[in-house]
Amino acid sequence: MISNSLMSRDLNKLLNYSLLKISLIPLMLWIISTLVFILLRVAPGDPVDAILGSGANEASREILRYKLGLNESLLSQYLSYINNILHFNFGESLSTQEPVLDIILKSLPASVELGIFSIFFAILIGFPLGFFGLKNKGKKGDYIARIIGISSYAIPPFWGAILAQLIFSVYLRIFPIGGRFPITYSQPKITGFLVLDSLLNNNLISLRESLYHLALPSITLGFLLSGIFSRSLRINLDKTLKSDYVNAALCRGISTRKIILNHSLPNALLPIITISGLTIASLAGGALLFEVTFSWPGIALRLHEAISQRDYTVVQGIVIITSLLIVSLNLFVDILIAILDPRIEY
Amino acid sequence: MHNNFLIALFVFLISLSQYSCVSNNKSKRIVVASSGKIESLDPARASTLKSLQLLSSLGDTLYELNSEGELIPELASGMPIFSKDKLQIIIKLKENVLFHDGTLFNSNAIKFSFDRFKRIGTMNYILGNKIKSIETPSEYKVIINLNKPSSSVNGLLTSINLTPISPTYYKDYSDKFLNDKFVGTGKYILKRFSNEIQIIDPNLNYWSDKPNNEGISFIGYSNSSSLFGALKSKQIDVLLSNSIDDIQINNLKLLSNNKEIKEGNSPATEISFISLRTNSYPLNNLNVRLAIAKSLNRDFISEKVSYGLRQPSRSLVPPIYKKSKKELWPKYDPLQAKVLLQKEGYCNGNVLDFPLTYRSNVPADKLIALSWQEQIKNILNECINIQLNGVESTTIYKNLNLGIYTAVILDWTGAYSDPEAYLTPLLSCSEIDGENCKKGESVYSGSFWGSNTVEDLFLDSENLNGKERLAKLVEIEKIASESIPYIPIWISSQKAWSQNEISKPIFNGAGIILMSDLKFINE
Repeated sequence: MISNSLMSRDLNKLLNYSLLKISLIPLMLWIISTLVFILLRVAPGDPVDAILGSGANEASREILRYKLGLNESLLSQYLSYINNILHFNFGESLSTQEPVLDIILKSLPASVELGIFSIFFAILIGFPLGFFGLKNKGKKGDYIARIIGISSYAIPPFWGAILAQLIFSVYLRIFPIGGRFPITYSQPKITGFLVLDSLLNNNLISLRESLYHLALPSITLGFLLSGIFSRSLRINLDKTLKSDYVNAALCRGISTRKIILNHSLPNALLPIITISGLTIASLAGGALLFEVTFSWPGIALRLHEAISQRDYTVVQGIVIITSLLIVSLNLFVDILIAILDPRIEY
Repeated sequence: MHNNFLIALFVFLISLSQYSCVSNNKSKRIVVASSGKIESLDPARASTLKSLQLLSSLGDTLYELNSEGELIPELASGMPIFSKDKLQIIIKLKENVLFHDGTLFNSNAIKFSFDRFKRIGTMNYILGNKIKSIETPSEYKVIINLNKPSSSVNGLLTSINLTPISPTYYKDYSDKFLNDKFVGTGKYILKRFSNEIQIIDPNLNYWSDKPNNEGISFIGYSNSSSLFGALKSKQIDVLLSNSIDDIQINNLKLLSNNKEIKEGNSPATEISFISLRTNSYPLNNLNVRLAIAKSLNRDFISEKVSYGLRQPSRSLVPPIYKKSKKELWPKYDPLQAKVLLQKEGYCNGNVLDFPLTYRSNVPADKLIALSWQEQIKNILNECINIQLNGVESTTIYKNLNLGIYTAVILDWTGAYSDPEAYLTPLLSCSEIDGENCKKGESVYSGSFWGSNTVEDLFLDSENLNGKERLAKLVEIEKIASESIPYIPIWISSQKAWSQNEISKPIFNGAGIILMSDLKFINE
């Protein structure tokens, strides 16, 4: 299908379409970074108060404010901030003096790893559930699948997370309560993706431990996301199965299995790709309450801490990087859909 | 097919339960969990309870406080000696003490550590302008020169922020922080550090008794329910936290009463209080402040909010530091409160609107505010109307000195173990006009209250020691209790819980758990 559509289209047009979309990224990032800068300064409280608390005297506050560069004018802070971003320098954390890029690079893989495994489990649970519902359309099985699907995305994620933790960690004691790796072992350090790093190190114990810690948060989050996949697959597949080309294929004597797998499913998956893109993009920014509940040292947990500490530089850095990821993923999905779907004009 | 799947799932779950994290902990290390993470192990930067706790295991101080609040020499070889003019403190140091990097601890290390803290310490304001310089007349003797007589320096000498660090190791960090390493003289050596996990091993060259355990692993969880669940499911050995919810503290207490776990308590050192803005209407009226103070039913609030676990208090200084349980603030007396308010023209159709701000990110504060509001509705409905306002803590801290809040619920733990560490930040004032403080610490605590008598007493107390000094500080507190710039609510202690296989956690007088005392009981 891909080759056919590409052959019938002008490759240059696709390239122009992609370039137009890419050219909008810097503008979007500039708007986002400016908004973040303004919003953080407008929000009450500042890092000095978060670091020193209520007990410090004015002199210590002023000294710290000077050290952190907060005594400069807003315009000067903004210009230096934009200049640094252009050089891909996000500065240092106001509270730890650690380079913001290091903080992001340390925590982003944890969120991405959790996101990838969660999507995997969401598909693993969601697709069979969608098929099962459609296969039993109008029957008891369909209703069960619908109830599971709808309730999975109706459950507030933090509640689902706490419940899973309580059942599987506290009462059944099957999974660890939180964290990404056991205290007793040294974490493999290559890419920051522990599962991948364990494989690269050929370390099976480390692989087992990282999967063991990943299991509960990713299965729980996967289950909570599975409803979106099962519902959209159920609806879109049902719609495509009613199409004329399916009836034509049936009349030609093609088996139902072949029709579904070769004709209906690829078309039903197009909207699901868009949904998946959006879901992955949202998870790239971290599943905030999940990370907090499972003490998962990802980017959302870092963002949460940075906001409470009014650590402007860390918040700015994380928001810009996650925005970049989300925008890039959306762009990727847009181009992919444009390639796959001959109806899209560009 | 369907049955096979169910059987496979069952086998999978059973095998997982066999491989649970509980059985995985075969190490003889003790796993201690607490909330949050540690940003820095640099004593010049560390300020959170958790980081100070870890530093206390890795470093020593010149002196420490025992659970009775008495000063005990640690790295010093004797008690501090004050010069006749009280402008010098002479301290002799222990010999043959080694830093973790093998270098020798001596007076230069003390000078290096104190000077560094004074220069770059985030909390260097605790030194104020007390310490002028440090002299090192010999290898094992230091002289601390003071700007003015200050008996509270004794308390400062117990501060873990001033723990000696190896000048050799910190050579390149004399003007900047070293966040992920620590080289001191303590009972433990840092083996591994990350923000979430820290591992410490016994220091085999320690100058005194070695730890009772083979090492400690610290882990941070980001929320209260994880900490509670981890202890309950035996995934950790010791839970150390003052930030877990009161309902869970109560549950842990019940478990401890049932002998399922052990509970250790520190001396109470954290005070919660209401700061009253005394320089403007309506709280510029002493009778109104007195009426409000008398309307607070601390026992009711403690029972409602903390299940009676937090000790109601009518004092700004923890008993351990003032060595007395004397409470000076007015008792709960709603009838008297009503009389006072009537005298000021309230009640009988004129209700006093009383805005009360609480820190929205501190659950206990909100519950205090709600309970008090409810209590007032029941007994003084026609006289006071409490209007609640939740604001995030950092915003409150920023705005306190602007006089935005009529009354605000706060808490405080002294930066060092001395009554002065509680009274000065709340009551001292450098520019007083009548009873109003224009400039000084009480402005930053939101009360704007000042008293020349109190300032004189502070000065007097610096020239005294022992009981005489304490008497002066109690006098200061008495004056405050009569003017009511603050209303103490309760006083809290740190708590720690251990599994039955581990010894009971024990705290020192500064509220720090003694990690080296923890041990497996069956050993």
